[in-house]
Amino acid sequence: MNADVRPISLLIAALGGEGGGVLTDWLVAAAARCGFPAQSTSIPGVAQRTGATTYYIEIMPVPAAELGGRRPVMALMPGIGDVDLLLASELAEAARQIALGFVTPDRTHVVASLARGYLMPEKTAMADGRLDDARLVELVERHARASLVLDLEALAKEAGAMMNAVMLGVVAGTGMLPIPAEAYEAAIAQGGRAAEANLRGFRAGFAAAQQGRSQAPRPPEKRWRAGASSLAVLEDEAATLPETVRPIAIEGMRRLAHYQDADYAWDYIERVKRIAAVDKIAGLDGRLVRETARHLALRMSFEDVIRVAQIKSDPARLARIRTELGAQDGDPVRVVEYFKPGIDELCSILPPFLARPILALAERCGWLDRAYWGMHIKTHSVAGYLRLRALAALRPFRRRTHRFRAEQREIETWLVAVADAAALTPPLALEIAECANLVKGYGDTWKRGMANYRAIFEHVVRPALARRLPLAVAADAVANARAAALADPDGARLAATLVEIDKRIVLQAAE
Amino acid sequence: MERSFKHEVQSLKLGDGEVFRGEGILAVTKALLQSGVSYVGGYPGAPISHLLDVLVDAQDILGELGVHLETCTNEASAAAMLGASINYPIRGAVTWKSIVGTNVAADALSNLASPGVEGGALVIIGEDYGEGASVIQERSYAYAMKSTMPLLDPRPDLPSIVRAVEEGFGLSETSHAPVMIELRIRACHVTGEFVAKSNRQGVHSTRNKFDAPAPHDYGRLSHPPVTYTQERLKVEERLPAARDFIRARKINEVFAGDLDDVGIVVMGGLYNVLVRALLRLGLADLWGRTRIPIYCLNAVYPLVPEEVRGFCAGKRAVLVVEEGHPDYIEQQINVILRRADIATRVVGKGALPMAGEYTAEAMLKGLAAFLAETQPAGVAADAIAKAVDELVARRAEAARDVGHLPPRPPNFCTGCPERPVFSAIKLMQCEIGPTHISTDIGCHSFATFAPFSLGNSILGYGMSLAAAAAVGPNLTKRPISVMGDGGFWHNGVITGVASSLFNQGDGVLIVMQNGYTSATGQQYLPSSAQHRPGGAATADIERTLRALGIKWLKTVRSYSVATMIKTLRRAMTTKAKGLKVIIADGECQLARQRRVKADDAARLAAGRRVVKTRFGVDDAICTGDHSCIRLSGCPSLTVKPSPDPLRTDPVASVIESCVGCGLCGEVAHAAVLCPSFYRAEVVRNASWRDRALDRLRRWLIVRLGGATGPA
Repeated sequence: MNADVRPISLLIAALGGEGGGVLTDWLVAAAARCGFPAQSTSIPGVAQRTGATTYYIEIMPVPAAELGGRRPVMALMPGIGDVDLLLASELAEAARQIALGFVTPDRTHVVASLARGYLMPEKTAMADGRLDDARLVELVERHARASLVLDLEALAKEAGAMMNAVMLGVVAGTGMLPIPAEAYEAAIAQGGRAAEANLRGFRAGFAAAQQGRSQAPRPPEKRWRAGASSLAVLEDEAATLPETVRPIAIEGMRRLAHYQDADYAWDYIERVKRIAAVDKIAGLDGRLVRETARHLALRMSFEDVIRVAQIKSDPARLARIRTELGAQDGDPVRVVEYFKPGIDELCSILPPFLARPILALAERCGWLDRAYWGMHIKTHSVAGYLRLRALAALRPFRRRTHRFRAEQREIETWLVAVADAAALTPPLALEIAECANLVKGYGDTWKRGMANYRAIFEHVVRPALARRLPLAVAADAVANARAAALADPDGARLAATLVEIDKRIVLQAAE
Repeated sequence: MERSFKHEVQSLKLGDGEVFRGEGILAVTKALLQSGVSYVGGYPGAPISHLLDVLVDAQDILGELGVHLETCTNEASAAAMLGASINYPIRGAVTWKSIVGTNVAADALSNLASPGVEGGALVIIGEDYGEGASVIQERSYAYAMKSTMPLLDPRPDLPSIVRAVEEGFGLSETSHAPVMIELRIRACHVTGEFVAKSNRQGVHSTRNKFDAPAPHDYGRLSHPPVTYTQERLKVEERLPAARDFIRARKINEVFAGDLDDVGIVVMGGLYNVLVRALLRLGLADLWGRTRIPIYCLNAVYPLVPEEVRGFCAGKRAVLVVEEGHPDYIEQQINVILRRADIATRVVGKGALPMAGEYTAEAMLKGLAAFLAETQPAGVAADAIAKAVDELVARRAEAARDVGHLPPRPPNFCTGCPERPVFSAIKLMQCEIGPTHISTDIGCHSFATFAPFSLGNSILGYGMSLAAAAAVGPNLTKRPISVMGDGGFWHNGVITGVASSLFNQGDGVLIVMQNGYTSATGQQYLPSSAQHRPGGAATADIERTLRALGIKWLKTVRSYSVATMIKTLRRAMTTKAKGLKVIIADGECQLARQRRVKADDAARLAAGRRVVKTRFGVDDAICTGDHSCIRLSGCPSLTVKPSPDPLRTDPVASVIESCVGCGLCGEVAHAAVLCPSFYRAEVVRNASWRDRALDRLRRWLIVRLGGATGPA
């Protein structure tokens, strides 16, 4: 009898510590309630510690009572092309199972969470190392027989439950298994204390699945700045810029007015206009001016103690932190900041005539990398708050500081290089503009980025502009060098890349 | 312990005819109690940790049955414990993770197997092989052969596993040899059911003690000259007795099939993978009815030549499905057939992979190759081979389509006290240059993965210091050895510390004192802290080291990164010769959180003051360089899209699971990273003093131009 009856195979891909084991137990218990023989296995090992792991379940969709005492031989591991249902609590893990051959268009239904738990290389990248979520969703959709991709994390948070309960609800809601919702709920209800929350999660998942529509990755939420009436003239001026750059330029202008003052925002618009003209001549359709305007606003609002103090003492900030902590009205909240300025940072807010000799002395004595002032500032205390306010109040003096002057010089050099390059070959101009992304952060990070940026200017940009590097390869050389600078924090790849580029320059000179 | 087994403990009490439902390894526990075992012991490790964990939670049942439980400090101590069965007719069982545990136990096992046993002695080994394994890939089979210990490898379903345990005692007592039972990872964790029997009390146990010790019997000592006799006894008496028992009790199974000019010999543990592959090729059904005859070896050592000859005779060819290298079984079958002049071809390795787990894919490919080679009548062998090839090609194509996907190895948990130590090592290396790092077994070996990528060698549990003994003298810079408290008590204190002192070694040892053998599920160890039920710690690492003669010894709170860097720098650069030990002290955060969360919930419910701490990142200050993540790798420290319309790189973000361990602040400070991090505390059920101070501060700050959110 039942010659065609086969067990339903379920593969759960999860991260250790997420409750995949509990989900597995629920599924097996729910099957048992229907009298279906079911078997699960897992490979917890050390993968339980946030590593990728899987659970495998087989369920016979026929009650044991109807099997005449026979026991099916169940598999202990998934077979390629032999999985009916994949449940993935994380999107990249769903893709991993596709690569392993466990998702096939003829059989496999996939339920995957849209939520990403970033892999280590995605998190440690020096710029943006993230996988493309849209592509991961597309992979799932293309390889699965049918798929449902939902933001289970958001659903769980909303329901105040664990994601595994929501996942169970989704499985129940799709009706993919011949198990009624009551059987799942009964399995959850055995769970004691957390049962109530889990039931909430289950029902949230159930409802979401019944809608039956996958969700697309959400575009990131950006906080655009609001306009101010005091900047009306500037806003009008920005409105004359090409359409492609306008939103960026307006954002940059508002940012710099807040960062420094309206005059500084004027300076910004003037500079953007210069590049807009270059862009137009080079026929770059606004691509150059858009990217340059974006980087320019960031470079002009360089990170210094004044800016940090301004953000940290922003009245809205504490309210945001209270929400993050879930603080109730009247619960005292305490916030401690970690500052550790070095001689560099302190000199950056001094006028050049003071900063220069101090820096020279510090360099001679080798203090630069050793002398730091570690500060724990209690922003919630009056004294701590006043310290931040005092630092933020230095804003009007910024224009006269050593750092400000130095930054303006660097910015001008960069803008001139961008413009000169545009006249030679537009792709090179775009690449030079992008180099600004290397200069960011504070302390050691800033020093490393600046050193890389200068090295690329020295070894690639200048030779290219001086026509000592063939123009045909110049843009690629800058792009390669920039990628190399972001490959490792030790600068090993960049050094090797620059050596290669140097060879081309020497050859060129010899010809 | 990481998992509570209160529920499972109840199923250990089941009586005759009741149905046990649960995991394979827990079925073994129940089978031991049904078999009248008098003592049990072992050392934890995946995949058999649950066996011991459930017994620790089942003290009252063990007490009623008079079963003595020993949570041994290593596998050698567990193996030696079986010595009780040499002189006394009492049944005992021990368990550990293999291959590594068997390696550690090997000396005691040899000395146990040579005199042999009176009472049944079982070794339950978790064969940590294939996907999910955490150790070197070797077979335990070699130990069975060299020490003449029968090795059972039951089919991976609960009734078979339980039967193996029960018959294992009989086999041990009949042959006087200790018996090993191997369970692969998935078999340990497979769920299922079996009809239980009532628990049996051993004839002699802690409740019915022997009145007198066994009389002196030189023949029971593994000492010359009787060792010569014992070697002969093994081959002349014990092996034949074992083979007779295996035959008589039908431990191995034959499943007949109509294609009887070929056959398959399979290790019991691989039976299910084989049958599923046959089913997919249309050569078996779901109930195990097979067209190709199968000889299933539930006893993989010793083989029974009569059975092998009986199965193979008259067949053109047999496929030997034997996982792992070397192909011990295949070689033995060849010898058995050759000696009997049976011409059956033996196909095995070659059709199937020489090394590695026999996954569903490997099995399909192996069967297809066997069929193509032997062309059994009535089987479309070439069509099968083509179908399998296509299946594999589709998998390869899917992999290409997905492209490169970095692996996701395990990592330190959120708030782990070991992570800051590696942050400190990394930062110290920035100052003094790279150092040789001798790594060990334990959670701290996760530092070998990104973002730390630290470690030059792993030589086994507790071996890191010993492994650096010859490195130091050959390097200008001192090597650093890292050892957990688990490894320290397992053997590191002797193989490492005592040996280094004895040889006047000059190196640095970091002992991670987190209070548990954390990687295997937070079992207690000799220096476990006050939370251990049943009394305080019995041993103290610092006092032990001082007593051994360590002069340079610092205990540093593991989260204090700056202090740790300073201490490390000093240890690396001091003129003082000799071993320098740093105890990195910090309780396992998983264990701590389990306690703290419950405590906090109780305090909150009781209206008492609770301070909750977590870290945060100001996303307007972070510029997306992620240096902080490269020095931490904490699961709670991740990235999110920058809310800044001008920035495309994602910014660092601390998610809700943060436990406020303090590392983020310490690292940002010690490494001079950036001022994005902040520590935030919320006081719940605040005292009137807290509230008054808070109100006053907020009132003043608002007057000074700030606003502080809703009151």
